[in-house]
Amino acid sequence: MLRSKRARKTVFAIFWYIVLGITAVAVMLPYIWMLSTSLKGSDEVFAYPPNWIPRTWRFQNYVEAWNAAPFGRYFLNSAVVALAVTIGQLITCSLAAFAFARMEFKGKDVMFALFLSTTMISTQVTLVPSYLVLKTLRWLDTYQALIVPFLANAFGVFMMRQYFMTLPRELEDAAKLDGCGRLRFLWQVLLPLSKPIVASQALFAFMGNWNSYLWPLIVTTSEHMRTLQIGLRYFVSQEGGTQWGIFMAATVFVSVPIVLFYLFVQKSFVEGIATTGLKGA
Amino acid sequence: MKRNLLLIGLVLGLALLSACGREQSEPTPTAGAEPTEEQVITLEFWYALSGKTGEAVEALVEQFNASHPNIHVNATYQGSYGEIMGKVWNAIYAEQTLPQVAHLGGAPLLGKTGAIVPITDFTEGANGIDRSQIYDALWEYNSAGGQIWSMPFNNSVPVLYYNRDLFAAAGLDPDRPPTTWDEVIEYGQALTQDTDGNGEVDQWGFNTHRDTHWYISAMFLENGAQIVNEEQTEVLYNSPEAVEMLQLWGDMVNKYQIMPPAQHKEAKGDFLAGKLGMLLRSCAGIPSAAEEVTFDLGVAPIPAIAGRDPVEPVGGGSLVIFRSDDQAILDAAWEFVKFMTSPDGSLHLSTHSGYVPIYKDALEWPDLQVYLEEHPLQRVPIEALQYSYAIPVFPALGTSDGALRQAVEKVELGAATPQEALNEAKAVVDKNIAEQQ
Repeated sequence: MLRSKRARKTVFAIFWYIVLGITAVAVMLPYIWMLSTSLKGSDEVFAYPPNWIPRTWRFQNYVEAWNAAPFGRYFLNSAVVALAVTIGQLITCSLAAFAFARMEFKGKDVMFALFLSTTMISTQVTLVPSYLVLKTLRWLDTYQALIVPFLANAFGVFMMRQYFMTLPRELEDAAKLDGCGRLRFLWQVLLPLSKPIVASQALFAFMGNWNSYLWPLIVTTSEHMRTLQIGLRYFVSQEGGTQWGIFMAATVFVSVPIVLFYLFVQKSFVEGIATTGLKGA
Repeated sequence: MKRNLLLIGLVLGLALLSACGREQSEPTPTAGAEPTEEQVITLEFWYALSGKTGEAVEALVEQFNASHPNIHVNATYQGSYGEIMGKVWNAIYAEQTLPQVAHLGGAPLLGKTGAIVPITDFTEGANGIDRSQIYDALWEYNSAGGQIWSMPFNNSVPVLYYNRDLFAAAGLDPDRPPTTWDEVIEYGQALTQDTDGNGEVDQWGFNTHRDTHWYISAMFLENGAQIVNEEQTEVLYNSPEAVEMLQLWGDMVNKYQIMPPAQHKEAKGDFLAGKLGMLLRSCAGIPSAAEEVTFDLGVAPIPAIAGRDPVEPVGGGSLVIFRSDDQAILDAAWEFVKFMTSPDGSLHLSTHSGYVPIYKDALEWPDLQVYLEEHPLQRVPIEALQYSYAIPVFPALGTSDGALRQAVEKVELGAATPQEALNEAKAVVDKNIAEQQ
């Protein structure tokens, strides 16, 4: 009886690992292809049947990619902007979410609905008005232009509010009895318990900003304010051919920070799940 | 040719301008343009070419700066034709700082905003040039409303890329590429093969790059059809001449089966991988294709109707000069534009990219002759320029290009007859024209 149960468990585990393995390979394929292409010469990129391992390894692609544009500066700009937006969003979203989840005030539901409705307006619609606002503030071609418009995010507020609402009221009551103020409760009790959602929100904010292209292109004109994604665009040719090997080499080093950031956040993600609950509170 | 993107940008910009119905005051290009103590004039130059062609543009700018101590050009890449046009429209609309010179596609459409100076103000001036040295079609390509607005810079025409190895394997003479559409069909049938015998074609005879509107327009023109009427109030491509050519296109897919239906996005990759015999595409891609192929590459002019001349509709970008109250800045801007588009500039660009030189006598330039000896494929589009033609630039051109691509797709998929598809396209575009007036 016990044996067969364990056997069944093993079979089940093997089955799951196969499913997970296939999914992992499917997810990884584009990245592996990117890596493979980044080491190929132009004559190999379109070879048919495709070869996954380059016949001649062309590490030169990375050197050429790095030298094609001032990527050092682009990295700095992207890092400053993405980190500032991520931190800013975590602060504004958690405060707003806390108010919507835990406080009672007049017009709360209407305001929340208004917040949510902004998620239905696409960026293209607000592009020109936002540009005009920045122009009036004389912020075009500055860090403010890249950071300030993204410091608040309705979807983040929504996500965090939903999560805060699932945490038991008793926590707040207990904290109140101990003389804990609202801000301190948010900072010391609610946020530590909400690590998974904080981690997801941070990841969304960071990735969204790291990858954004249209907005930085429109609001910056000088070389030293440009971000990484605009640098990548430099490899895509207008009517002629794109140098795929070099383009993919640049794509590899541009996407590395996102992978690192994910690994970093993933840890607190798991940790957060493990410590969620009333235990020890 | 990514004119579609640019025109989307344009149409958006136009829509914005008209929707808001506000007075268009002249934008003020100033910042960065004031002469410094040393009387050096700084010019901002926005351009839209990247990769190796972008490097060629930068090299030209450096040459200019080195040879003109009193002018400094600050060149920055601003994205594709569509993106750079979006930026320009945004700047015009917000009365924001514009550059002094920009490299744009569809440039003449900016004419009616009042933001740019007609280039003829400079070409006809004291420091002017002899315009007759440059192809007429290129001047027409830079005209709108009877005025030449911009200076031709990087231009390309569609050419037929073909795989000489596949030609030889199919028993065709690689030195005799097809010159007529009948031959394209004949050759295509020999090239279309099911190489592994599984009942599915895995080597196609013919296809075009994704900007199908460009190639179908060329075919319309070859058959004497017109794109738009004189007054530019309606498009004319539902005429029998145009329908006949779209019918031919559809027949290549459905009757002769030498072209796969609706697979233009994959066509370039298929060709480079050796799975496609002939590809119609911009000549701008010749140098990179020559590097990317592992087979013997051939290039031929666009095919024609038997007994008639081919038509090579020109594409590419131009240089514009924005208005300024300061004549010194305008003079400096023209000096720069003149340098970039001079025979030397044109030689540099055409020997570092797939774009054609804009001068009629280019084939007589010794330096170009030396270059073409090593790169014989690039001779083909230059010689084809004798058939160059400019599709008229009208504000609904973006909508028109999109409508034509849809019409082509409908016919390829059998969703409409050529007449129906073109009637629908015409209705959409005419409506758009009416809305813009």
